[in-house]
Amino acid sequence: MAIRILPDQLINQIKAGEVVERPSAVVKELVENSLDAGATRVEIEVEQGGLNLIRIRDNGSGIPREELPVALQRHATSKIQNMDDLERVGSLGFRGEALPSILSVSRLTLTSRVADASHGWQVSGAGAYENEEPKPAAHAVGTTVEACDLFYNTPARRKFMKAESTEFRHISQFINRIALCRFDAGFTLKHNQRRTLDLAPADSEPEREARVAQICGDDFVRNAIRIDEQRMGLSLQGWVGLPSFARTQADLQYLYVNGRAVRDKLLGHALRRAFADAMHSTHYPAFVLYLELDPVGVDVNVHPQKTEVRFRESARVHDFLFGAVHQLLRRQRPEPEQHHHAHFAESATNMSVQQPMRYATPSYSSPSYSSSGYSSQNFSARESASSVESLWAASNATTPSLQESAAEYPLGHALAQLHGVYILAQNNTGLILVDAHAAHERVLYEQFKQQLTHGGIPSQALLVPEQISLDEEAADALESRHEELRRYGLELDRAGPASIIVRAVPPLLAGQDIATLLRELSSDEDRRTNTTHLGEVLDAQHRIMADMACKAAIKANRRLTLPEMDGLLRDMERTELSGQCNHGRPTWVQVDMAELDRLFLRGR
Amino acid sequence: MKLQVGRNELLSALQAVIGVVERRQTLPVLSNFLLETKDDELIVTGTDLEIELESRARVQNIAPGRITVPARKLFDICRGLPEGAEIQLESTADKATLKSGRSRYSLACLKADEYPAMGQVADGRSLTLKHGQLKAIFERTQFAMAQQDVRYYLNGMLLEITANRVRTVATDGHRLAMSEVTLETGFKEATQIIVPRKAIIELLRVLEAGDEEVTLKIAAGQLQADLDVVRLTTKLIDGRFPDYERVIPESGDKRLQANRELVKRALGRTAILSNEKFRGVRLQLENSKLVLQTHNPEHEEAEEDLEVNYDGGALEIGFNVNYLLDALGALTSEEFVMELKNADSSGLVYALDDPSSKYVVMPMRL
Ligand SMILES: Nc1ncnc2c1ncn2[C@@H]1O[C@H](COP(=O)(O)OP(=O)(O)OP(=O)(O)O)[C@@H](O)[C@H]1O
Ligand SMILES: [Mg+2]
Repeated sequence: MAIRILPDQLINQIKAGEVVERPSAVVKELVENSLDAGATRVEIEVEQGGLNLIRIRDNGSGIPREELPVALQRHATSKIQNMDDLERVGSLGFRGEALPSILSVSRLTLTSRVADASHGWQVSGAGAYENEEPKPAAHAVGTTVEACDLFYNTPARRKFMKAESTEFRHISQFINRIALCRFDAGFTLKHNQRRTLDLAPADSEPEREARVAQICGDDFVRNAIRIDEQRMGLSLQGWVGLPSFARTQADLQYLYVNGRAVRDKLLGHALRRAFADAMHSTHYPAFVLYLELDPVGVDVNVHPQKTEVRFRESARVHDFLFGAVHQLLRRQRPEPEQHHHAHFAESATNMSVQQPMRYATPSYSSPSYSSSGYSSQNFSARESASSVESLWAASNATTPSLQESAAEYPLGHALAQLHGVYILAQNNTGLILVDAHAAHERVLYEQFKQQLTHGGIPSQALLVPEQISLDEEAADALESRHEELRRYGLELDRAGPASIIVRAVPPLLAGQDIATLLRELSSDEDRRTNTTHLGEVLDAQHRIMADMACKAAIKANRRLTLPEMDGLLRDMERTELSGQCNHGRPTWVQVDMAELDRLFLRGR
Repeated sequence: MKLQVGRNELLSALQAVIGVVERRQTLPVLSNFLLETKDDELIVTGTDLEIELESRARVQNIAPGRITVPARKLFDICRGLPEGAEIQLESTADKATLKSGRSRYSLACLKADEYPAMGQVADGRSLTLKHGQLKAIFERTQFAMAQQDVRYYLNGMLLEITANRVRTVATDGHRLAMSEVTLETGFKEATQIIVPRKAIIELLRVLEAGDEEVTLKIAAGQLQADLDVVRLTTKLIDGRFPDYERVIPESGDKRLQANRELVKRALGRTAILSNEKFRGVRLQLENSKLVLQTHNPEHEEAEEDLEVNYDGGALEIGFNVNYLLDALGALTSEEFVMELKNADSSGLVYALDDPSSKYVVMPMRL
């Protein structure tokens, strides 16, 4: 076959294969166009999962009559003009290929009216634009795009479509995703004539919180901490779910870079690491996070659907994100009012007398880099930075007073031990239940880590070195980590192909079953994937300590005296992340007097 | 059963046995004493199935019998009665009645036949030595026994008997204590047994410092100690004790000699500021000088500068301060010796004039 230039429609169809591979991608492109046009209301209507009809109507700036035909052409955009613009692009679209791509695989109608026109104009086409003149049409200021019979002319693609409900789920997930970041706009979603979502623009803080609660659930909001960090031109805001709110799926993870939802390996890794201490590796953290930086520092033009980005200084961004979230989690201290509420009654909701997200210290007052108001991140600049500081100062000031007055220990005083497992304690608000093993495990773990960073863990030499036989792979694994283990006070040598000799152990583990400990440590080895980031080296060490802590912590059925239990409660108050065991399970819960009263139907 | 006995006489018999009766029991009869009359003696037995203790009290035996009574209750009642009171004990089918003056107590009994008594240890080899001798070698090593260690054979004391020597050895894997007494034992071949920790503690409660005789009878898996008024029978720990002789270092070239009390007190003081969990103390030795140093996570520090007899060259070594304190506390001599080799090798502690007790302490890398 001779080399020939492809016909326009085929080029567009090829492009469509990348840009709009399924109905939700069409919705994404069209909604992004609406938002780029400054719309504050976006109405989305789909039928049969979007395969039959996708109609997006907005109240944005509209397209003048003479530009309507151009909009449907390949590489036609109003958003950038030169390389400079591309480098600091603030709009969601910039390539000028969405509309022609959609047109190439559907029957498309574009109707629009600008503010100074007396009525709207309409162009349409099926598969391609036939250069017909725009026709007059009734329309309010704004734009409506209608795409029917998606993939009608590419049967192969159409076959790949999943069930209607699946396609609609993708659409609805996308709307959630964009709505969580564009509080400045209202969204409605209709499927087969039925309204499934109705979000008004959220201009105030409570309205924004309500939107987060509506999309992510009340539970998330109750168990989330606000974050607001700015450093070296980077800013991170949003909500971070407490580790105890871990999910079994990665279904509550919203991350935006300069107002753009992204799926980024580097950022994902930073977040996973930030939670690694506090969460079991099979669980997923929940978060809604907005990362902002100078657009020049991030290349958005790397992925056909723009869901990936590339950072100029990726290590710095990684460390900032990791550090901010990690520090935030570690700052949490027992505050019975806040979290860890036991939910006894059938109506869990009315139990939370506390203000949702009372931590809400940060404000969204950071400078937004997005140009021309395209990003919503500059919401609520009116919450001044000084109010933020005073709130933090107030919460810090309470810490020393813990020592002053015994009555004010957040976790109160131990009353008894229940079935050798739980500690019952009493504080000002009511009853505290503590899982003694889990709590002790966390306390030990944090101690191990502290000792590691402050001068190392001592190592008690053994009178008779202990020879341990294990399989060869395990022995290899341990030998290769010999230096690392030495830093935790474990000294060992290879004694043979399938045996290890232990010469010294950390004093904390004296009398413990070192052989079993080592076997378990080495058998876990295969689970540990190699990750390139340097921080992983330290994490690996923490994992050993987490394992050690779990094994060294008091076991169920160990009788504890009251002073011992009080000691543990005080340790917990002092310990970072003491609210979760190393696997992310809660270590304690609070049952308020009010909740107890309700149980006994008192005061009704 | 019916008998008459003085309160003090009965109390001391009960006291000798009560320690073995565990407070929490799954088998009810184990919280009871077995009481049995024989001629003009009352035999009191307590057991935890591992160790059995038996003591005797002189009584006026009116009607012989064999019963079991709640151990702790009987003990507490006896203890609460006035000194020198007279007690009358009488049993019916399932009740034992205790009367003293105007007091009357009625206790529930369990069937004596169901009492798991170990009885007499049949044909074993015997060894007789003085109370004081056995007590001394126990006391000097007992603290080094492990406690609930997974290496179960360390949760006890090694008793090694050779033709002319009885030796005790205890270790928790980090330090070792060894003590011996020279005597003709009549044992032709060396015998090693591991006596459970609890048996040693119980024996120490009843051993006295004097010259009275104790007879140890060793049979398969059992040891019986006859101490005149008390008899203890224990199961032995079935396991192999570490080859302790290999652990005791050949004399190290760095030899420290010092006043025991002086160093002990200095260690006791510095221990206050050592890390609560690790108990590390750093020893710095140079000519005629020993410096002790500790510090803790609160950034508190202690330093003691002592004059000692030492010319082995500069050496710095870390230890668990408790191990050193235990060893120095078990010695009785005025001066002690500590032999060292280097920072990674064990230290050997013993009395200047008496090498019959030795302590090996492994260093701790701080
Ligand atoms: N809803 C709308 N309201 C106003 N103008 C619109 C709307 N949709 C499209 N346009 C105009 O049509 C042009 C082409 O849209 P298209 O989506 O094809 O490209 P783009 O948004 O510029 O870039 P990209 O391909 O990256 O989405 C836009 O640049 C914009 O000027
Ligand atoms: Mg676009």
